[in-house]
Amino acid sequence: MKRLLLDRKMYVEFALAAVLFAANVLLALFMPYLTEHKRYYDSGAYIVMLSLAFALYTAGVHVTRKKSASDIAVVLFLFLMVWELAYKFGAVQNDLLVPSPEGLFHVFVEKPEEIWQDVLGSLQLLFWGFFLAILFGTFLGLLAGWIPRVREVLLPISNVITLIPPLMFSAYLIMVLATFREAAIAVIFFAVFWPTFQGMVARVSQIDKAVIEAARTMGVGTVGMLFKVILPYCLPGIIKSISKSLRGAFMCLTGAEMLGINLGIGYFIEKYKSFADYRCVLAGIVTVGVITTVIDIAVNKAERAMIRWEA
Amino acid sequence: MAASEKTGESRVKIEIRDVSFDYVDRKSTFAALEHINLEIREGEFLCVLGSSGCGKSTLLSLLNGLNRPKSGEILIDGKPVKGPGTDRAVVFQQYSLFPWLTVKGNILFAIRQSGRKYTRKERNEKAEDYLRGVELLAARDKYPGQLSGGMKQRVAVARALALESDVLLLDEPFAAIDPKLRLELQELVSSLCAKEKKTVVFITHDIDEAILLGDRIIVMEPGRIRTETDVDLPHPRKRDDLIGTEAYEKLHRKLIAGFYTQIQEDIDTEVSL
Ligand SMILES: Nc1ncnc2c1ncn2[C@@H]1O[C@H](COP(=O)(O)OP(=O)(O)OP(=O)(O)O)[C@@H](O)[C@H]1O
Ligand SMILES: [Mg+2]
Repeated sequence: MKRLLLDRKMYVEFALAAVLFAANVLLALFMPYLTEHKRYYDSGAYIVMLSLAFALYTAGVHVTRKKSASDIAVVLFLFLMVWELAYKFGAVQNDLLVPSPEGLFHVFVEKPEEIWQDVLGSLQLLFWGFFLAILFGTFLGLLAGWIPRVREVLLPISNVITLIPPLMFSAYLIMVLATFREAAIAVIFFAVFWPTFQGMVARVSQIDKAVIEAARTMGVGTVGMLFKVILPYCLPGIIKSISKSLRGAFMCLTGAEMLGINLGIGYFIEKYKSFADYRCVLAGIVTVGVITTVIDIAVNKAERAMIRWEA
Repeated sequence: MAASEKTGESRVKIEIRDVSFDYVDRKSTFAALEHINLEIREGEFLCVLGSSGCGKSTLLSLLNGLNRPKSGEILIDGKPVKGPGTDRAVVFQQYSLFPWLTVKGNILFAIRQSGRKYTRKERNEKAEDYLRGVELLAARDKYPGQLSGGMKQRVAVARALALESDVLLLDEPFAAIDPKLRLELQELVSSLCAKEKKTVVFITHDIDEAILLGDRIIVMEPGRIRTETDVDLPHPRKRDDLIGTEAYEKLHRKLIAGFYTQIQEDIDTEVSL
């Protein structure tokens, strides 16, 4: 007999997820609407999304062999099924606020160009603001952590500034800076810079004294100490903190976009909110969720690849 | 008479002049060393014995420059020690390897720091030679976190040798190493230091090791040097040839006696307190 790829027990769970997936597809295709006021949307986009989710899950469960993958898939398909049934049975009173799943995913067929542009815009803002903040935060944190005089100047300042939520002064930044783009980058920058800076100062101060002493006896000077000893020693900590700051940055980004920057996925959500098109708002939110998840997974992968030792 | 012959010809390499050192914190000061005087000749292998906590590592920290004497001064080649430098290589009691570098990376770091102009290929070859010497070539790509205590200690020894300095300061470098390998490493360090005329300060708790390696042995008591003993045995010494000989037994008894009176005094003062 051919060997199974997974345990027998995991195939039971896999089968359950597959049945739920098939049921969702059949419901979308063949179940009639049992209410009077309803909006028809072509179910194509929804079915494509379902299939995509199922394909990802199939690949995921075979690669990671995690039981939780099946659990997540079952929960997701059950949720969509309840939603679909509730809508088609007419349990949803307000068509405008709660669209059908078909309707939600149809948005991606209606305006793919617009969503794509907004996503790209968001990612660009994120990249610049985030990248610069990590770079400067780490570098200045390194200096402040190692050189007491620098620390005594910068640390009190950062302690005051980090008490103010970054979104509070972003309204002001948007007025001051020439373009929305710059303002958004600045908002993200300040949201990430100070925590990165403080984290780095803390990491440098916790460094193992014996390592520093060993380096000193080998004739390592100040510059060498900063870049050949302390920086590599702190690198795992820096990389670990990146995925955390990335989430904060993304929240700030969508927040900043909603404050009036006319570009990005946050702006997309805000715009359709004012048109009272909640179908598009929900589609925007789903997009944000998918993007954050993808970035998160990518960063975690990079993290595991880069850290080959643990302190 | 090998050691005393040396005495005549070689000059003083390290001079410790009336050195005292206190550990100071907010509440108290602790006098760890008081009025130490010691001369170490070029090419001499000096072993330091003494009970735990008597200030051996402290003395070494003054020699390597991480601590500065409260009073007195330390001269190397006639120049006062102002801080750490590549002229002195150190093996710390607690190893202190760089955890982000592999075993070989640690050795390469020291070779680069030595300031000698080697090509990349030469550096690689040297690093592997040193690792072969401490029997760790197979572990060259491991990280310090993946090594046993004895392996870490050997890397630390190899790293100190790789700095190619005139002076070697070793703090119990073979404490965590099994007896067979320890013999090999003792031979390695001994022959290498003799060949390259290195001046060595070697802290140990093992009297046999001190007799096997040392040209001179000092026994410390808290804060002070208690006794100095020249070891007039010809090099190279073989452990098996030494043990049981009269000269060896005499030395051993003398060193042990140095410990005993010290311990006796410790007990006396404790009782009287
Ligand atoms: N950082 C420090 N602060 C205060 N006191 C210290 C410090 N380091 C060492 N001491 C004290 O100085 C004395 C000498 O310590 P040292 O480490 O030199 O001993 P040692 O001879 O190397 O002992 P061992 O054989 O156990 O390594 C000890 O009594 C110790 O308590
Ligand atoms: Mg010690």
